[in-house]
Amino acid sequence: MRYTKTITAAAVAATAALALAGCSGSSGGSDGSKKTVTMWIYPVIADEAKHKGFWDETVKAFEAEHKDITVKYEIYPWANRDESLSTAIAAGKGPDLVYLIPDQLSTYQKSIEPMDSYLPSAQKKDILDNVAESVTIDGKLMAAPILTSANALMCDAKAFEAAGVTDYPKTWDDLEKLAPTFKEKGIYVTQYFGSPDVTLNMTFYPVLWQAGGSVYNKDGSKVAFDSTAGTKALSLISDFAAKGYIEKDLISTMPALEQTALATNNVACTWQSGPSDVTSFWGEDAIKILPPLTDEKQVSYGTVGSLAMLKGAKDKEAAGEFAAFATDAENSKKFDLASNFFSPLKSTGELYADDPIQSAIEKTIPTSKVGELQPSARAVMGVLAPEIQAALLGTKTPEQALKDAAAAAQPLIK
Amino acid sequence: MTTTPTQPRPPAVGGRPDGDRRDGRPPGLTKRVLARREARIALLFVLPAFLLFLAFRFGPAIAGVGLSFFDYDISGELDWEGLKNFERMLADPTFWQAFGVTLAYSVLAVPISLALSVAMALGVRRAFRGSRFFRSVFFLPVITSLVLAGAIFKWIFSTDGPWSAIMAPLGLGGSWLNSTVLVIPALVIVGVWSRFGYGMLIVIAALQDVPREHEEAALMDGAGAWNRFRYIVLPRLKPTLFFLAVIETTASFQVFDLVYVMTQGGPAHASYSLVYMLYDQGFKYTDYGYAAAIGVALFVMTLVVALIQRRVIGRQK
Repeated sequence: MRYTKTITAAAVAATAALALAGCSGSSGGSDGSKKTVTMWIYPVIADEAKHKGFWDETVKAFEAEHKDITVKYEIYPWANRDESLSTAIAAGKGPDLVYLIPDQLSTYQKSIEPMDSYLPSAQKKDILDNVAESVTIDGKLMAAPILTSANALMCDAKAFEAAGVTDYPKTWDDLEKLAPTFKEKGIYVTQYFGSPDVTLNMTFYPVLWQAGGSVYNKDGSKVAFDSTAGTKALSLISDFAAKGYIEKDLISTMPALEQTALATNNVACTWQSGPSDVTSFWGEDAIKILPPLTDEKQVSYGTVGSLAMLKGAKDKEAAGEFAAFATDAENSKKFDLASNFFSPLKSTGELYADDPIQSAIEKTIPTSKVGELQPSARAVMGVLAPEIQAALLGTKTPEQALKDAAAAAQPLIK
Repeated sequence: MTTTPTQPRPPAVGGRPDGDRRDGRPPGLTKRVLARREARIALLFVLPAFLLFLAFRFGPAIAGVGLSFFDYDISGELDWEGLKNFERMLADPTFWQAFGVTLAYSVLAVPISLALSVAMALGVRRAFRGSRFFRSVFFLPVITSLVLAGAIFKWIFSTDGPWSAIMAPLGLGGSWLNSTVLVIPALVIVGVWSRFGYGMLIVIAALQDVPREHEEAALMDGAGAWNRFRYIVLPRLKPTLFFLAVIETTASFQVFDLVYVMTQGGPAHASYSLVYMLYDQGFKYTDYGYAAAIGVALFVMTLVVALIQRRVIGRQK
């Protein structure tokens, strides 16, 4: 037996609308009353005052052009954002617009109003092809992209100097060869955050993709990480753990960054942290940005930040107009420069030509991948991450860990 | 012979010249009627709390049980699943792993917490110089933020932390949070540290009811400290210990915040508790029906253990 709350809600809404129409003959908005758009955003611009300044200015400019629309935004913390959003949606208290990344788009897809009919055609055509692909599900543009990011390989020049190493790694083989030299100097060749609350998009998946593997098979009906490529990827990391080439405490806990070896120039290279994390510890001069490591493929994780409209939006037209305005070329560019991210649009061109660090990262965007767009993506991470921990702690072989994870993950694919 | 002038007779007991009775009861009102009226007034006072309980505790709990029979999507779709969520749960190795972790944590944490509460209460029950200071210090962890404490304990239990240095001579050095065997004892240490002060306070209050003369008489008869505790103090503490055992068991079955702050269920699910699993399923994977089924299992588990405790500890009361 199937119950559909939405049908009941629609019936109630229709009845209420008819009753209102019968009583007054007009509804909110069309009689000149102001429409309100609500938006939830997160600290994409780390400096809160700067972030508020951006949205205050953008909202003011929008409201000046749209006298009948008021925009209210709230900046929520990153922590537990899915918990608060899913609870709000379930309670019918969600915002009209919300900042989401691609794997969230697939998780919330049933609650999202596709953006196709709200963005002008020229703006849609301006979106970079790989970006458009990452926010498209079942042929529908689920959100309006506002930024892109890429996790390039970042190395610490001071650590290289301390170890007397001059050649930076390009491949896994290079990294493996360098590891003992760094270890002799008390430096970890890389780091691995094994705590289950760190997304595998940032940690294991780039290694899996570089080995030529994937999380799902092509049609998404089965998990595929328990492959030869998967075993090769996990063997590399667990071998590093066994030989003491990575910081062991990070396998299970996530301490504050200042309590890790990364903050004390004792990690040579990482793909799991970025310049904004380490600048205050390393200084800008020590940051060396390199293309992603290569094995079978050269690929890294990068994400796309976008504004999505929820189906519960009270005035979809007004919400769509604001989403289009906030993510157009001019506002995207301002937002990306303020947040140190990159543009999802063709027309904005290169944003950081004069900044050597940002410019180097910007060049790696074509090789970045946004992760798995499957509704079960996060649940699969939930069963895979503990098995990866088991392999890194040596309680399971990489093959066994991936096999067990695959068995636990398969029932999660609906 | 003098005669005593006739004095007006005092009114009958309970009566007054104005017609009211001395106990303030209007004439004709029986104790039963009065009790009923007082009960009604008391009910009025209780009503707001009762309504709040219904709305925010009982209602959601019943809704949670209902939800366990459905597949609920945040978009609003409800699909009838019958017992499928429970069947899936019973066949899910992760559930049994979480069940084992929760049980192991409780089996260690509850007795240690009770024993420590009683020991500390006995230590500070009598007033001595500094007893108030010690009581406050022992109670301090109860009001300390677990998030803050968890962050500090993460460092204490890390490879380079003091705990590793202390335990190294016993061959138990290294990060306990990185060990699939030692992670539960590490969480138990923090859990007991954060809760024993509450138990201690309750036991101190109960100890006030133990007649000092009984202990003194036993002392005169040559009873040692252990025998005085065993035969005089402990029997009088039984109702308190039963209460504490239920409270501590319920709290340990619901262990979440410690796991969330310190291990996120790791390493390799070695500290993945039932409530953490419920949280993951409900809030991370939005599988509310399955999460509700885990909640129902947790409720049944807590109820069964509370009934057993009642039978074992509360038998004589």
